[in-house]
Amino acid sequence: MNIVVLVKQIPDPAGPSELEDDYTLDRNCKLILDESDSYGVEIALQLRETSGGGEVTLVSMAPNKEVSGIRTALAMGAEKAILVTDDALSGADALTTAKVLAKAIERAGDYDLVIGATESTDGYVGTVPAAIAELLGLPSVTFAKKIEVQEGKIVVQRQTEAGYDLIEAPLPAMISVTAGVVEPRYPSFKGIMAAKKKPCDIIGVSDLGLDVSAGWGQEILSVEDAPARAAGEKIEDDGESYLKIVEFLENKKII
Amino acid sequence: MNFAFTEEQEELRKSARSFLENYSSSERVREMMETESGYDKEVWTRIGQELGWPSLHIPEEYGGSGFSYVELIAVMEEMGTTLLCSPFFSSVCLAANALLQGSNDKLKKEHLPGIASGDTIATLAFTEPNGRWGADGITSTAVSDGGDFLLNGVKSFVIDGHTAQLLIVAARTEGTTGTDGVSLFAVPADTAGVSSRALNTMDLTRKQAEITLENVRVPSNALLTDAGAAWPALSKTLDLAAVALAAEQVGGAQRCLDTSVEYAKVRVQFGRPIGSFQAIKHKCADMLLEVESARSAAYYAGWAAAEDNEELSTVAPLAKAYCSDAYFHCAAENIQIHGGIGFTWEHDAHLYFKRAKSAEIFLGDATYHRELLAQRIGL
Repeated sequence: MNIVVLVKQIPDPAGPSELEDDYTLDRNCKLILDESDSYGVEIALQLRETSGGGEVTLVSMAPNKEVSGIRTALAMGAEKAILVTDDALSGADALTTAKVLAKAIERAGDYDLVIGATESTDGYVGTVPAAIAELLGLPSVTFAKKIEVQEGKIVVQRQTEAGYDLIEAPLPAMISVTAGVVEPRYPSFKGIMAAKKKPCDIIGVSDLGLDVSAGWGQEILSVEDAPARAAGEKIEDDGESYLKIVEFLENKKII
Repeated sequence: MNFAFTEEQEELRKSARSFLENYSSSERVREMMETESGYDKEVWTRIGQELGWPSLHIPEEYGGSGFSYVELIAVMEEMGTTLLCSPFFSSVCLAANALLQGSNDKLKKEHLPGIASGDTIATLAFTEPNGRWGADGITSTAVSDGGDFLLNGVKSFVIDGHTAQLLIVAARTEGTTGTDGVSLFAVPADTAGVSSRALNTMDLTRKQAEITLENVRVPSNALLTDAGAAWPALSKTLDLAAVALAAEQVGGAQRCLDTSVEYAKVRVQFGRPIGSFQAIKHKCADMLLEVESARSAAYYAGWAAAEDNEELSTVAPLAKAYCSDAYFHCAAENIQIHGGIGFTWEHDAHLYFKRAKSAEIFLGDATYHRELLAQRIGL
């Protein structure tokens, strides 16, 4: 089974982050694999192992020919990678990103499945997987928590607020998986060393036959700090304070 | 000569760190402390199978991955950071190193693949109730008997001695003293005449046992080196183990420093964070100096071990001496900086304090290693 996994390489969320003049995130630093993509990589590796063959191909878009995050996913066990890196894509919006990734996926050769995360940890737009499905003419299944492959189709548990929906889709399909549904494997040093030698095709926008010189229909005008959390209400416990809590929850229509 | 870790070695560290965060949390460590075996079988299996840590420095011809001591000390440091309870130090740093330093290829082929995969838990039964770390401490005897050897004696402070399937036993030919007449034998723990008893130790994160050898019959092909000529191999094994332990001490000391600094920033007293007081600042600055110096010593020693160069015999005791002092001092200061809460069972400070103490003493304390260093450089 051939599976394409979309992996985003992002500035370390634990570190300090800066904004560029156009209010997009400064990505001119060491980038790491977005943790939310590591679940997709793990699911892909498991599906490949169950199917007994095939390849897992990573597709990524990042500036400065950054491959650190890709190497992490290769160390986990993916076979190869395609990286689109181009200054012209700096600050690209979600739709442009989807167009670029869709073209890159087509370059990956025959595939049965494309897997992405629900949303990235740095942008949180969350529309890229569905946009790619549309561009590639694939069925789109979102919020997957479990994927099973059956004869020519997939059966997906789609997470909902109350539980999950059971969804079937023909292959090939585009699936976005929710974070935390599997435990991503920990690379061994053997895997890390092997990742160094795995092929990573680094290409630009023109290699994909795309023209992004017209830019995109999105401009960020300003960025505001999130409002500070308002001070809470302090209640001295006189033995009856639980009534206040009940009242508070009732007012919020929680109970 | 390059002392910086490569990008791949940093990745290994990162992988180790995230695994240990999940599987060697304070709760897990405390659970393991309560058990007699002292480790989680499932976690150990994953360390052997998935992460491949025990295989790191074991050559490929013996079922290992064929990397070097530099990778090994990187994971040792991470294990020390979270006080991982596992038979890694006993199996890999003691037993596997002893087998590798020996000249018996058949034994290496027989036992190293099992250690590399994590299937075999092994240890070095070297010290005795006399508590001495030099060759003189070995009083157990090996008597030649019709082509076999009969082993007698008591081994103590044997790390994981009650759970190990394979013991590397040090014994001497009767009538010999010092470094003469020492032999090393590979003895399966289920051999007739071998009995073990778990010891009550202060540091519950690393279990020790006493092993009694009563007329234990072993064939001559269980010898790691020629009979009576094992001291050089054993001495080097102890050097290599000291280097690994030093790296582990660095990880622990760093964690003590980190938690101290974190606490000093948030704990407010007299209207200011306690970290703003000179008394606390100076403590933290001293700890930082020690941690950084200890790290440099341990990394240098790790490099010497990886290169297998002549410096190993001097930098190993140097690193063990410095890192022992540094870790214990940081662990003790960590308790002081935490004040009252640092003395409670619920806080982890005492776990690091106890590990620091057991690691300080194991393989010989700082004074012992400074003396060893003085002797080796001819002072």
